[in-house]
Amino acid sequence: MHISDGILSAPVLVTGFVGTGILAAATLRKMDMEEVPKIAVITSVFFVASLIHVPVGPTSVHLILNGLVGVVLGWRAFPAIFLGIILQAILFGHGGVSVIGVNTLMMGGGGLIAYGVWQLRHHFNIKNKEVVFGALAGATGTISSGIILALALLTTGEEFFATAGYALAVHIPIMITEAIVVGACAGFLKRVKPEVLAGERPQQLESE
Amino acid sequence: MPLDIDRYAHLSSPIQRWDPRFKIGALGLLVLAIALIKTLPVAVIALVIAVILAFMSGLPFGFVTHGLSFVTIFLVPFFIIMPMTYPGEAAMHFLGLPFAWEGFRLATLIFVKAVAIVLCSFVCFGTSRFDISMIALQHLKCPKVIVQMLLFTYRYTFTFLEEMRRMQTSMRARGFVPKTDGYTLRTYGNFVGTLLVRSFERTERVFKAMLSKGYQGEFHTLVTFSSDATDVVKALVTVMLMIALMVLDFGGYFHQAIHAWY
Repeated sequence: MHISDGILSAPVLVTGFVGTGILAAATLRKMDMEEVPKIAVITSVFFVASLIHVPVGPTSVHLILNGLVGVVLGWRAFPAIFLGIILQAILFGHGGVSVIGVNTLMMGGGGLIAYGVWQLRHHFNIKNKEVVFGALAGATGTISSGIILALALLTTGEEFFATAGYALAVHIPIMITEAIVVGACAGFLKRVKPEVLAGERPQQLESE
Repeated sequence: MPLDIDRYAHLSSPIQRWDPRFKIGALGLLVLAIALIKTLPVAVIALVIAVILAFMSGLPFGFVTHGLSFVTIFLVPFFIIMPMTYPGEAAMHFLGLPFAWEGFRLATLIFVKAVAIVLCSFVCFGTSRFDISMIALQHLKCPKVIVQMLLFTYRYTFTFLEEMRRMQTSMRARGFVPKTDGYTLRTYGNFVGTLLVRSFERTERVFKAMLSKGYQGEFHTLVTFSSDATDVVKALVTVMLMIALMVLDFGGYFHQAIHAWY
């Protein structure tokens, strides 16, 4: 889900670039050379996985997985999504060059919030908590992006109020599909290779 | 999906011969200016400029239109939503639904601008090899870490796309048919997990191989950039076009799109 060129007002576009710059600088701090190829590889997995279309009734939606990026990469989810957005803008031209900032804030912000939700699992002692919190992270990642998108439209002008409402409504079925997919994926990773998950491994890929 | 944006980079045209550093810098400025346009006539002029650039670049027509199809699909709903939901009195009713010309003009403006911008970025990145474009970005003071990660990501996208197609084939061979149910979604969750684990393990191997060949966080390349007067002239012309667009748009010669067509 991203916004296209030509819609948002200049202040919103500029805010997007400034916010993305600050968050990217903050989340890239203390980055090890070793992490560069790893983040890149995981970014391209998500890039490819987002081409998967899931049937929803008569139509289909593609996976977004920004919540899963948070679950896997932690803080580094933000730069990873930044890369994904740049590549999408360059390769497909949907969500173009002028909206890279806004789109990164939207998707990457959702990824960071999802990571926050995911980390809450340490405070709970329930069965299958990876599945439960994976699902919660998937859902919050998507809906946070929807809310940021709606805010960007609202601040652009009152002629976009209704569009913002539709955009948010569209995110609700997507939120449900994302929750199930990310929950299943987190449970799978916990069983198969737990060190891939953020907060499950001692030193690798972890920011602090 | 045309992932290899640079498959026509070998063609020869004034745009292809343009030094990528100047090309990306100048077209980047032009794109930002187009994004800020508020009047329809200026947006149309920008679209004409973008079309001329696309013709000059010699990129095949089908390649460019295929790229434009994505942005078009995304923007079509705006032509329905905006006229229906524009605040205030609707000019007329169509099949019982309100239809406001303000909203229709706004949708047109958005569409024209978006197509112009996408054309420009196709011209910009479709006319040089991807790695050369990225190195040019680094020359334009884009952080080295970002450029490194972009190069890796781009490279691996093709590998993993192959991998994903193989896995999808094997799923189909075992009788998997996607439906709207929890089983399908959970299966896709495991699918993505498998893809992640496989790629994670592949990276470890590749990274060790790279370290043993002396990787220290930078690719050394044989690409050298050289610019001459024509590169500078092309960039200057582009920047002048950009300034002209801005002056025309802000100068009060035309009405904003929500108020009038001209």
